[in-house]
Amino acid sequence: MRRLIRMSDSRSGLSIPILAIPVALIIILTTMAHGFASLENLSNLISQIAALMIVAIGQMTVALVMGLDLSVGSVISLVTCMVATGGSPALTVPFCFAIGMMVGLLNGWGVTTLRIHPIIMTLSSMTFLQGVTLMWQPIPGGHVPDIFSVIGVGHTLGVPHSLIWSILCAVAFSILLNYSRFGLHLYAVGGNTVSARLNGVAVNRVTVSAYVLCSLLAVIAGLYLAARIASGDPKIGASFGLDSITAIALGGTQLSGGVGGVVSAIIGALSLGLISNGMNLLGVSPFLQSSAKGFILIVAICAQRRKTVGL
Amino acid sequence: MNTNISQYPYFSLKGLLVAVSDLSPAYLGTAFLLIAAWIFRPILLSEAFFLVILRQAAPLGMLVLGQSIVIRCRSIDLSIGGIILAANYIASSAYLNGYPDYVIIMACILFGLMVGATNGILITQFRGSAVIITLAMSIVFVGVVVALARYTPPGDVPPLIRYFGSGRMNNIPIAPMIWIAFVIPIALALRWTVFGRYVDAVGANPHAAAISGIPYLKIMFLTHVLSGFTAAVGGLLLAGFVGKGSTDTGIGQDLVLNSIAAVILGGVNFGGGRSRILGPTIGAFMLTFLFNFLTSFGFEESGKLMMQGFIIAIAAMVEGMKRR
Repeated sequence: MRRLIRMSDSRSGLSIPILAIPVALIIILTTMAHGFASLENLSNLISQIAALMIVAIGQMTVALVMGLDLSVGSVISLVTCMVATGGSPALTVPFCFAIGMMVGLLNGWGVTTLRIHPIIMTLSSMTFLQGVTLMWQPIPGGHVPDIFSVIGVGHTLGVPHSLIWSILCAVAFSILLNYSRFGLHLYAVGGNTVSARLNGVAVNRVTVSAYVLCSLLAVIAGLYLAARIASGDPKIGASFGLDSITAIALGGTQLSGGVGGVVSAIIGALSLGLISNGMNLLGVSPFLQSSAKGFILIVAICAQRRKTVGL
Repeated sequence: MNTNISQYPYFSLKGLLVAVSDLSPAYLGTAFLLIAAWIFRPILLSEAFFLVILRQAAPLGMLVLGQSIVIRCRSIDLSIGGIILAANYIASSAYLNGYPDYVIIMACILFGLMVGATNGILITQFRGSAVIITLAMSIVFVGVVVALARYTPPGDVPPLIRYFGSGRMNNIPIAPMIWIAFVIPIALALRWTVFGRYVDAVGANPHAAAISGIPYLKIMFLTHVLSGFTAAVGGLLLAGFVGKGSTDTGIGQDLVLNSIAAVILGGVNFGGGRSRILGPTIGAFMLTFLFNFLTSFGFEESGKLMMQGFIIAIAAMVEGMKRR
């Protein structure tokens, strides 16, 4: 128990209130919402939050180095459109990853070398990519090759593939953050940039890598979503930028850098997914659902203690 | 780095170049656009078209006033999208039907002030990140308005607001006059009053400002209230221009990004910059003119979005390189 309490000031971002949110939600929903605990709904829930979970892990990586990536949504939309209309997956998938890499490099370059504020930099790449996506495919449509649905949304021995993919991403990033030099450097840069630099951490390179990883995870989420909806939609990702930020804030990741982890990103995505799923089951209007999410975001952000005022 | 042309008393090419390169991107961009329009699309510069473009720029110009002051204080206001939509709905829905027009206008402005004050409290007292707080506020209001509009759809905008938004006096549109009537006092206030100096000080170094006894949380709070106010006025001008209430969640949402683009084009960045109000105001005009210019060449939404992202990035990069 003492160890659990001490966790609240550790760098993982986890604390008892944050762990209590999803637990409380599960208890409330099992008693109040009819059909929540059914196997069908739980499987549905997992496939709903898989994409958000993957994006949230990327967003958390950027948040560790005091960044913010609003462009993930546009990357997701672009990827679904590319896959749906681009032809052979052997060609489109590597192309999507190359684009993700370029977006990440560009964001990172603007933030580090040109010292543009992350919001402005990723806002402009978000807008630009949304334009590119609309030019590529103005309305939803196209056809995603069948192999995507086999790999992306099938079942093996009753386990949905979405679960396998999100667990793979989560494990890979846990190892990267906790057991690699790069992970340590990420926390060092976020904790105190100046002393990280004085201790020989290549601050710019680490920051750029964080943005690249975030964009690559957005590409993976886009591929998964394309498999799930089986067509391209130029606006499908629009809500992901904010939703991923809401998720990591709910999970206890500090946007001021240095505090966060894969588990906290997953807990946050789970909480947000449970809230949406619960409101669906309780029959709340979709417009009020977005209002409620905004309200929850405000509460979650205000609960974080930080010193700076403003951005 | 306050180089201006007066430091170079004799005419020299170098001095001129330095002075020109020191101008905000908005001035150069506007000059470039006007020349390009003069060559390729002279009709855009005819009196009738030019006045229409000015009228179109007025709502954005109003938003930019508040946004530029907020950004000078190292904060940002993304809630203006929600304020515009809500002001539009308040002005056009049946809830206030029996009341005189000025009461409806006051209600919209009061709403803007309240949202601004809420933003300010959450940002200064609860230390929430301004980006997320204001964006979340916008989402909350957009959701509520769209949900309400399903029960009570919006109707027509009251005549007085329509007169402000699209009326003319001696053939000159009224909306740009209202815009200028706000620009001048706010510009003077930022230049000459204690409040303006405090805004500069807080932006330059919040920590130093706090230590020197400047009530910097109050200043931050006031800038957000001001931004809520200008957003409500901008929303009213837009509603008057459109004439009918709209539940299309797209209305005014492009103005949020454009207001930030105009501020950055105007040479203001987080924490200061070389221009106060004039640069961003010119930036607002430049963006509106640019979109008309692009439309005249047959660009669609996709091309405009790409252009917008590109311009924000270029303006921010130019500023970033100058600071290095």
